[in-house]
Amino acid sequence: MTLADRLAAYLTRVEGRPTTVEGLSRISGGASRETYRFDALAGGERRSLILRRDPPGSLIETDRRLEFLAIRSFEDRDVAAPRALLLEEQGAELERPFFIMERAEGGMTGNVFGPDPYGAHAGAIGEQFFTYLGRIAAAPVAELAIAAVARAPAPADCWRAELDYWAGVIEADEQHPQPIVRAAIRRLRRAPPPPPAKISVVHGDYRSGNFLHDGEGRIVAVLDWEMAHLGDPLEDLAWAIDPLWTRAGDDRVSGMIPIDDGLALWSGASGVEVDRAALAWWRLFASVKGQAIWTSAAREWRDGGFAEPILAFSGWYTARRHDEILADFLVKAA
Amino acid sequence: MTPALPDILRGYLVVLGTPPPPEASGEYTAGRLGMLGMLSTLAAQEAERGCAARVAENAAVRALFATAAAAYDAALEGALARAAAGVDDDLSWTALDRANADLRRLLIALHEAVETRGDGALDAAILTLYVAMARLRRLDLAGAMGG
Repeated sequence: MTLADRLAAYLTRVEGRPTTVEGLSRISGGASRETYRFDALAGGERRSLILRRDPPGSLIETDRRLEFLAIRSFEDRDVAAPRALLLEEQGAELERPFFIMERAEGGMTGNVFGPDPYGAHAGAIGEQFFTYLGRIAAAPVAELAIAAVARAPAPADCWRAELDYWAGVIEADEQHPQPIVRAAIRRLRRAPPPPPAKISVVHGDYRSGNFLHDGEGRIVAVLDWEMAHLGDPLEDLAWAIDPLWTRAGDDRVSGMIPIDDGLALWSGASGVEVDRAALAWWRLFASVKGQAIWTSAAREWRDGGFAEPILAFSGWYTARRHDEILADFLVKAA
Repeated sequence: MTPALPDILRGYLVVLGTPPPPEASGEYTAGRLGMLGMLSTLAAQEAERGCAARVAENAAVRALFATAAAAYDAALEGALARAAAGVDDDLSWTALDRANADLRRLLIALHEAVETRGDGALDAAILTLYVAMARLRRLDLAGAMGG
């Protein structure tokens, strides 16, 4: 049976009506799951859907239930989260864990590393980008579906939990000594940030390239929630403005809007005042986290048999770019 | 560190020689081939500069060790002076990376000792070296994307 046949059999069983699958096509996007678009036809109705299935190995080890519930947490909170529909943690007919969500029609991504990715709509998209992130930070955790599976750290431990995790990833996956990121980790441990004003949902990978827009200035889907967790909302903000996502010479965050405008929008939507010193800590942390992800990518490229070129790109170009960013941060903050 | 150039190039045979399943033969495969194209351009940069970058980094680290040896070699059991006297007479990628790994491990140990001692001058020198090391390894994506 093809994957489309198995997917149709699954939908027929769980929804209790004959369903056929058309146009199943794997798409790029999300390094930790196989992502497919397809249409499901049943009872004269056509639905546009996305399948996210665990690969045999992945760049980031994440929990698909947590990703599913993170998306579900925000589907009615005006942050352009897709609607999460079905979760199968045992794999069922598809043999590996997966979930299905609605597809945003006509959405496109901006080229993260290309020039002027949003053109004339940069301002409008930037306003939504920071506003949606502020709304994610503002959402009351206890009322959200993700609260059932995500552990809330003590506010004073937010920084330590994240730094310990990502420093551990580097320790486990490093194949060549990395003095720059190790110096950054020590710097972070010597001067931790204050506890956050509130514990929020942290998307975990909120950045240019991880949302779809309609080409007319409207963000239609915020994607890639697989690293969602609870923590300090400044963590997301720092990741969103990391220099990696902005082309050299562009003074706008990811070619959208100036950083101070973005921070003001985020504060307005989140109700959280930006502590600049704390944000500086989280910005250095963001580059450490990036370097950890790229270190894992390099290892996976080799251990996975050199099969996924995105892992080579991540483990090579982005790792070297983040070394530059980290070194610059370290010198400027010395 | 990042994959060495031979590890990047090994992927071409795997990617190009493995037929995709039907559901992955469209946009996904086109994206992978586009990524290989970008990697090719970056690989050309690395082939041009990578060996020289490794030699230059190793030399810069050894020079810093020579400067720091008087103050720190007692704590590091003479490792700085020994490393500072090294030379890269085998210019293969494998040999250069092996030497670089040894030098970087010692650089990490030195930096930790410098931080513990609160030696601001040498700390600043090491941070400046980090900037130089990162610049030496830079890959130019704008060139790869024609932008």
